[in-house]
Amino acid sequence: MSAPLYEVRNVSKKYGSVVALDGADFQINAGEIVGLVGDNGAGKSTLVKILSGAHKPTSGEIFLDGVSQGWDSPRDAIEAGVETLYQDSGLAPHLTVSANVFLGREKYVAGPFGKLGFLDNKAMHKEAHKDLERVGIAVPESNRSVSQLSGGQRQAVAIGRAVSWASKVIILDEPTNHLGARQAGEVLQVMKAARAKGLGVVFISHTLPHVLDVSDRIVVLRLGKIVANAPTSEFDAEKLLGTITGLNTL
Amino acid sequence: MNQVGTDAKSLKQVRMLFGNQQFLLLLVWFAMVAFFTAFNSIFFSMAVFGNILLDWAPVVLIALGQTFVIISGGIDLSVGSTVGLSGVVAAFQMQHMMTNGDNQWLAIAVGTLVAALVGIAVGLVNGFLITKTKVVPFIATLVTMGAAAGLAIVYSGGAPVGGGPDKAIELSVPWFGPFSTPGLIVVGIVIICGLFLHLARFGRYTYAIGSNEFAARTAGINVNRHYLKVYALSGLLAGLAGMFFYCRLGSGAPTSGYGGELDAIAAVVIGGAALTGGIGRISGTVLGALILTTTTSGLIIIGVAPDWKQVVVAILIAAAVLLQGNKNGSRGGSK
Ligand SMILES: Nc1ncnc2c1ncn2[C@@H]1O[C@H](COP(=O)(O)OP(=O)(O)O)[C@@H](O)[C@H]1O
Ligand SMILES: [Mg+2]
Repeated sequence: MSAPLYEVRNVSKKYGSVVALDGADFQINAGEIVGLVGDNGAGKSTLVKILSGAHKPTSGEIFLDGVSQGWDSPRDAIEAGVETLYQDSGLAPHLTVSANVFLGREKYVAGPFGKLGFLDNKAMHKEAHKDLERVGIAVPESNRSVSQLSGGQRQAVAIGRAVSWASKVIILDEPTNHLGARQAGEVLQVMKAARAKGLGVVFISHTLPHVLDVSDRIVVLRLGKIVANAPTSEFDAEKLLGTITGLNTL
Repeated sequence: MNQVGTDAKSLKQVRMLFGNQQFLLLLVWFAMVAFFTAFNSIFFSMAVFGNILLDWAPVVLIALGQTFVIISGGIDLSVGSTVGLSGVVAAFQMQHMMTNGDNQWLAIAVGTLVAALVGIAVGLVNGFLITKTKVVPFIATLVTMGAAAGLAIVYSGGAPVGGGPDKAIELSVPWFGPFSTPGLIVVGIVIICGLFLHLARFGRYTYAIGSNEFAARTAGINVNRHYLKVYALSGLLAGLAGMFFYCRLGSGAPTSGYGGELDAIAAVVIGGAALTGGIGRISGTVLGALILTTTTSGLIIIGVAPDWKQVVVAILIAAAVLLQGNKNGSRGGSK
């Protein structure tokens, strides 16, 4: 078997005396959706932040395409093709939809003004609209400020942004939170489309039916440790819940 | 209390009528001009406007920097002291060049450069404290505010430093309407700041960081480096304000920027920026500073003790904050 697309080995993360993550091994392959589940405080978001380069692990190793990586900042991971949707919305509410979609990778006007950093807002509006549409998300007008959008619309923009930029891995931390049933269904479709494109998808959710529906494999975290890692076919709702709470082990 | 409430409501209606906060500020300014002119017609003259602009230029200079800082979610209390310190250091440099018999214009150019560098240095110290030692901007810049003020006093012995090029004062004479050469340069700087805040990456990142620092960081923006740049810019503009005062007074006075940080913050807030970050415009700051300095001149001319300025400014700030509260409220409520 070849190396997994993206992998962490034996990573731990301590916040002061709190051990949020304790020697976790985690892999994601191309064209695969991995469901990452666990109780509140289990360490899911911490693992996400390590995968995305937002936090440095206290110990452990990270490999992308079999190459050892030490992300110094989210920028490094982004440039390597790893996109992340954070649980606590990663959008800037005072900026427009398109400014958010293009945040950190702005388009510039041609010529010397572009060299000085002058922005091509028109091109960004247009392209942001197209990108969001292509992802299959109901697009709010891309020149409105994000603070004027509903929670569901914001989430849609954040997901669209992540999916349209990801080239290898996309990590979605509770993307269906605050969404209605129909919108949540859209998000699940978006994930399947990303998988079909060959991306590795990490899906974190508390809604177990969603996880059982779209995931190829499920990884369970409890108190900072990986306690289960198996194909979805080996779980049903009851067994999964038992594994999360610690009432039964796989 | 009730009075304030109804005022805020009618203000809000005016705003809805015109839509645009800057337009409202312009109306406030026109109303002030009309008011002061009605009390004393001398107010409406080129000489008085020239004077207002002389007061306005240094205030708007440091308020421009403060606009970037406040939009980024921070605050810079050190700018007033930086004005004094940079003026003093530049004054010594120019005095030295004059005793060497150097060219006056060369001395002014070098003095300006020195003032700018002193300002940038203070700004970089602020940025360093904020990004590396994680001190909140309020405390970090309070520290440099004290340090810069102390240095300026010690270095100058507490007295204005003269003996520089005479041409500096001549520069402050208006020749283009009410504008002097330094005044015109300030207008140019205003335009450049507006372009970079509203149309370029530098401004986009400033808004993004003030709006949601985590989002900016995870979007791959080098947030710490941007903070450094923003505080360096604020320092640079304070340094230039120090040179502006030098040209006006003909000497570098350690206290020339005294209280300048409060004027700057007031101008920015009156201009519609939010101290919580993510909101603000250069046009608002420009008008905020203009309203502030018009108030000072106007009160003097109509014979009211200038101490009343503080009261008027307080009312203006309260009105601006109320207006902002309404704006946020109506935004949230319409959803
Ligand atoms: N920035 C932080 N500082 C201190 N403790 C933290 C921080 N982030 C998370 N934790 C702690 O680490 C543990 C794991 O949190 P988290 O990864 O957010 O869990 P989950 O996403 O699974 O709910 C919790 O005990 C949490 O309180
Ligand atoms: Mg979480």
